[in-house]
Amino acid sequence: MMRLALGSLRRHRGAYLGTFLAAFLAVALLAGAGLLLFSVLTAKPPADRFAATAVVLSGDREVTLQTVRKKKDKVKTKTKSERLTGAGTLPVDLAGRIAAVPGVADAVADYAFPVAFPVRGEDGAPVVGHGWASAALTPYTLEQGRPPAAGEVVVDADLAARGGLSTGDQVPITTRTGVRTLRVSGVAAPAGRDGLPAQGAVFLADREVPAVSGLAGPTAIGVLAAPGADRAALAAAVRAVAGDATLLTGADKVRGDLPGALPDYIGPISIFGFTIGITAFAAVFVLTGTVALGVRQRLRELALLRTAGATPGQLRRLLGLESVVLAAVAAVPAMPLGVVVARVVAARFRALGAVPAQFTVGVNVLVLGGAAAAGVLVTFVAARIAGRRAVRIAPTQALVETATAPRGGLLVRVLAALVTAGGAVAVLSFVPLGGPLGMGMSFVSSALLLCAVAALGPVLVRALTAVVGRLTRVAGVTGWLAGTVARVESRRVAAVAVPLVLMFAVNATMLLNSSLLGRLTADEHAARNAPATGQVTGPAGLPLDAVGDLAALPGVTGAAATLPTRAIVAQGGKPEDHPSQGLFLAGREAAIDLGVREGRIGGDDTFAASSYLVRQYGWRVGDEVPIWLADGYQVTLRLAAVYERSRGFGDMALPARLVAAHDPRGLVAAVALRYDGDVASRIRERWPALRVTPTAEAVRAGDAQNQQGAWELMVVISLGFTAIAVVNTFAIATAARRREYADLRLAGATAGQVHRMVTGEAAITVAVGLLLGAAVAGIVVGAFSTAQDGVFRLIVDPVTYAGMLAGVAALGMVAGALPIRLVLRRRALPAVADGR
Amino acid sequence: MTPTVVEVLDVTKSYPGSAGVRALDGVSVGFAAGTFCAVMGPSGSGKSTLLHCAAGLDRPDSGRVLLAGQEISGLREPKLTTVRRRRVGFVFQSYNLMDSLSVWHNVLLPQRLAGVRPDRSWAREVMRRVGLTGRENDRPGQLSGGQRQRVALARALAGRPEVIFADEPTGALDLSTGREVLALLREAVDGFGTAVIMVTHDPAAAAWADRVVFLADGRIVAELADPTVEKVAAQMTAVSAR
Repeated sequence: MMRLALGSLRRHRGAYLGTFLAAFLAVALLAGAGLLLFSVLTAKPPADRFAATAVVLSGDREVTLQTVRKKKDKVKTKTKSERLTGAGTLPVDLAGRIAAVPGVADAVADYAFPVAFPVRGEDGAPVVGHGWASAALTPYTLEQGRPPAAGEVVVDADLAARGGLSTGDQVPITTRTGVRTLRVSGVAAPAGRDGLPAQGAVFLADREVPAVSGLAGPTAIGVLAAPGADRAALAAAVRAVAGDATLLTGADKVRGDLPGALPDYIGPISIFGFTIGITAFAAVFVLTGTVALGVRQRLRELALLRTAGATPGQLRRLLGLESVVLAAVAAVPAMPLGVVVARVVAARFRALGAVPAQFTVGVNVLVLGGAAAAGVLVTFVAARIAGRRAVRIAPTQALVETATAPRGGLLVRVLAALVTAGGAVAVLSFVPLGGPLGMGMSFVSSALLLCAVAALGPVLVRALTAVVGRLTRVAGVTGWLAGTVARVESRRVAAVAVPLVLMFAVNATMLLNSSLLGRLTADEHAARNAPATGQVTGPAGLPLDAVGDLAALPGVTGAAATLPTRAIVAQGGKPEDHPSQGLFLAGREAAIDLGVREGRIGGDDTFAASSYLVRQYGWRVGDEVPIWLADGYQVTLRLAAVYERSRGFGDMALPARLVAAHDPRGLVAAVALRYDGDVASRIRERWPALRVTPTAEAVRAGDAQNQQGAWELMVVISLGFTAIAVVNTFAIATAARRREYADLRLAGATAGQVHRMVTGEAAITVAVGLLLGAAVAGIVVGAFSTAQDGVFRLIVDPVTYAGMLAGVAALGMVAGALPIRLVLRRRALPAVADGR
Repeated sequence: MTPTVVEVLDVTKSYPGSAGVRALDGVSVGFAAGTFCAVMGPSGSGKSTLLHCAAGLDRPDSGRVLLAGQEISGLREPKLTTVRRRRVGFVFQSYNLMDSLSVWHNVLLPQRLAGVRPDRSWAREVMRRVGLTGRENDRPGQLSGGQRQRVALARALAGRPEVIFADEPTGALDLSTGREVLALLREAVDGFGTAVIMVTHDPAAAAWADRVVFLADGRIVAELADPTVEKVAAQMTAVSAR
């Protein structure tokens, strides 16, 4: 059997090339996406600022909720947690108590807080401020100068080099408590390097740190062990004193650092998870289709084997074995290509800022092997499914001109289509597409609809070609031929059209949905800021106290300051993190218009929430809602208002004071001002560092742009892969029809007529593919759009839509019409007797 | 003397790969209009090559081919195709029908491709003569081998060609079906005045012809008028033994 399979592969080298290519690309993409996901999941923080410590105690770094559910006799405890963007603090006196524990040489209270500094670290790394005592945790040692006294700062050697700083220089430092100009008293560095990767460090006098940082206590305590102390015993002893502080040892110690100081892999994990989802779907989809097409084109050979005495079981094994050999061989060069793909994508994502600059792709043999195994498995299963009916082909079929597989299975097809289409409808109706899951879920529903189209392909195509094929009749005899052949060969047309449907539907959905979101965000941003005359921004942000001065300027009639932050609320015992803003309002006129639907913004201990969030959690105005701020501090605020314009803003508007005190950055990102007269020039005069931009020219937030770039890159990958699938399928289908074209030539068709007929068929196929693709995309985009703002849109962006249509059509036409030129060389005449 | 419909003059043809071996080596032969001529010879004698060159399916290396008085050896595509579809019909061992078209559409296809209005009443008459009335809407895949060959014959005749080239038309058929097809070819000659040039290796098939030409090693080695099965068989044995 093995020999037969291998021999068959060798003999039909050309026919298998298409399957080989599909398997090769599928495995490469799976491997690439798998490696990316693996690499972000296993990414280690690049350095441990607590390297010198034995044990680290940290304040809260996540919000953890426990729900206890009683089910008959069993008590189920569920623990769910959500990471904080800030750092919780520890009691001020704890370090002193820990220092007294036997075996502890010293317990250092570590204050870590983000600092806006004239320069950033390597690869744009953030700069973090500490007390000088924290230098011992790494340790940093002085290269020049002396430890900082009040009004002084020690900077790490890397920052000193980048900023051209040396002892005695004056340097401005901005924290949430304000802007200070400090004198550089020295330059320090960890052993063997200039600074830690991914975070720059500045050290202030320990006495000044609580005031500068605005922290109520240390964010962590680093415990240095006495020489010869037993680490396990030490940890146990510290734990006994530590109370509810989190105790970290070994590699976990880094988790005691400021969350913002470590590269954040949460975003990339979801991006790469999504990438692997799309890739896996497209790869499996394309591979299955290609394998099925390949099997169908070998029906005659299968029938011949049946004549030679092969049982259906043997044919099934033959098909299975062939596919395994083919996919395994394809996987060998595909795995290195997967590594290349992962590296290229990672480099591009690094450049876009969608992944931390320190991100590297690790090559993991298990992941590569897994991708190869998945590719082999998919090919195998696809071959078995495609062969399911084919192997029962009657031996007599070998004797007739065209082998046709036993028909039937319509019921199975209809059932599969109903199930997948029903799934799509369920996703579109029940998942709130307006929320953060919207994009992912719209993709899931388009994937399900594509499966329905693929299952029902021949039926749909037969109906469509009956219509489209009639239209081509106006193009004379070749058009009539193309229409007739396409109608009769609806299965083949379906097999070729489905990749076109995939290409159009997936990419149009992604492009249109993201363009819709971008436009809605921009529109809401503009509507929010419409009441403001100008936007005031500082180079690193403004301390909240400065806003009062701005609002008090003569001529200013209204001010709204926003402090971007994240806040956590709980739903059914599960903490969920939401982008939010600290909002400070002043003046008699509104400088921001959030589109309040209900209630009024403002008032002590109140907050406002987006209508999405209110719907999501079932809140009503007046409800008391527990909210965790960035550092894990829990407050209970009353819901005072519900607003509509949340895109690019956030889902909650919290009291600005509270955010300034509990978000480690705690700075105002922008102040919207409503004014008359020369306020702008007076601001520039009085605060030269501030920028005043007329509202009309204000640019959008940069955070969304990272996502946008990552999104576009994914569209490019997906476009490339689906385009190759389209070309591949067309090529396979054409190669198998060489004989048919020869027969046509023999019946008196000129080469030109054959070309025209093939072009006509390609046009029918493309038209069918685009119609179905537009239907799938229309359903998904329409539902997505309706969920966003109640407006049903199909096209969203006419330029993108037309571009997609034209691009897919052009590719389909070229892919459909070009192979025939290679098959029917200009003067080559029909190979009459040997053309099989 | 009836006029010749196909005239092959000193045609030479060799295929790349088999260096030095000529499939046709200076063959000259004429085929009279309205007659049935069989071309015989052992495997590799060049009989199919002769048919392809004579029909304009293949271009000779040297020599001339005249089809109904028109020189076609120098013609290029697509001119060659238009000449072919106006003057020539084909019947091959492998039928060469379009599987996705119905029998009726297959029969009319060459005329439609030629851009002429198909002569439907004539096509119906041809269908009746080959015994396919009532099968117009079937697809070739639903027919037996003999029926398919009759479709091919009807297609060839529907265009009122001056000559039908047939390459082993009975090769894939059983004895009695083969005989029916040969009878139809004979009728095409006697009833419609079409010339038939048929390549075969079967003496029984050749015996239906008016004249048999024998090829060996790319040359014409013998001819036989008014053949019978015995005479053809004897001649074949002689040719093969050379």
